[in-house]
Amino acid sequence: MLLRGLTWLVLFQLLGTALNHLCVPVLPGPIIGLLLLLVFLMLNGEVSAPLSEAASSLLRYLPLLLVPPAVGVMVYAKQIAADFWAIAGALVLSVLISMAFAGVLMNALIKRHARRGEQP
Amino acid sequence: MNFDWQGAWAAVIHHPLFGIGITLGTYQLVLAGFEKTRWVFLQPVLASMALVVAILLLCDLEYAEYRRSTEILGILLGPATVALAVPLYLNLRRIRQLFWPIFTTLVIGGILATGLGVFFGWLFGADHMILMTLLPKSVTSPIAMLVAEQIGGVAALAAVFVLITGVIGAIAGPWLLTRLGVHAPEARGMALGMTAHAVGTSVALQESEECGAFAALAMSLMGVATAVLLPLAVTLVV
Repeated sequence: MLLRGLTWLVLFQLLGTALNHLCVPVLPGPIIGLLLLLVFLMLNGEVSAPLSEAASSLLRYLPLLLVPPAVGVMVYAKQIAADFWAIAGALVLSVLISMAFAGVLMNALIKRHARRGEQP
Repeated sequence: MNFDWQGAWAAVIHHPLFGIGITLGTYQLVLAGFEKTRWVFLQPVLASMALVVAILLLCDLEYAEYRRSTEILGILLGPATVALAVPLYLNLRRIRQLFWPIFTTLVIGGILATGLGVFFGWLFGADHMILMTLLPKSVTSPIAMLVAEQIGGVAALAAVFVLITGVIGAIAGPWLLTRLGVHAPEARGMALGMTAHAVGTSVALQESEECGAFAALAMSLMGVATAVLLPLAVTLVV
């Protein structure tokens, strides 16, 4: 079950890689695979049990898979130290401003959407 | 009889399984700690990363060697990215119901979240490599890492920026949204998931099921939109 789902995921990624080399070099192979799988699911109308099992087990361990690439940060310690305040400031300010903005905007849009629904 | 302690130690730390061993070990340790304390700073990736770096420095091992021995974990990242299509598909019905609010917020908010990071970074004088790595900071790490690599940033740094962004958003976000009078669970979830990805989503899930669903939805939409549009935008602008 798990293996069959995994095979599907690998197949879609390989398909994505092929397309990435043939015609869309800006998009990474796995992302094209994601889009292809989404289209496939929409056409198919449901998620098969093997696929859903493989996807949920892989996504459960996603944080673990990300540890080795994250450790690569030790190679860039010097660059981070050089730009430390710029990085910290940019991250804190942009996150707070964009989150506040997105929340307020969505809140207002939902209210308008609901009002329109009441009086068609 | 004389034991060759040094030789044995070297054989252990240079064994191809050593990297995987410390990764699995620290990850589980951090996860157990997080379950117990629910402390936001114990984000699994961030805390495991810090522990693994400490171990590598103590053992005097190079990153390249660690990377080689954990290659098998890295290979699985691709299929995991493809697997994101499944939760996205399962949320499609919700998207259709509130299509325009979601679409508008995603476009304007997404551009703002991405643009502001680079703008402030540039304003505070960060260099080009750091700026390119700051671009995908609001998306979930696998996508951010892929995109950063694609546009001339550094995948490892992107992962760290993504995590810091998530942790800041998760700590300050709910308070900030309440102060601003954002009470609709859809809007709170959308804001948390869009700007603080997985970490924000986990906070949103604690608020309510609906809030969490919208956060997951916003996170995957933002991820896909960034993956598709950011490389295009960068090739056009730079």
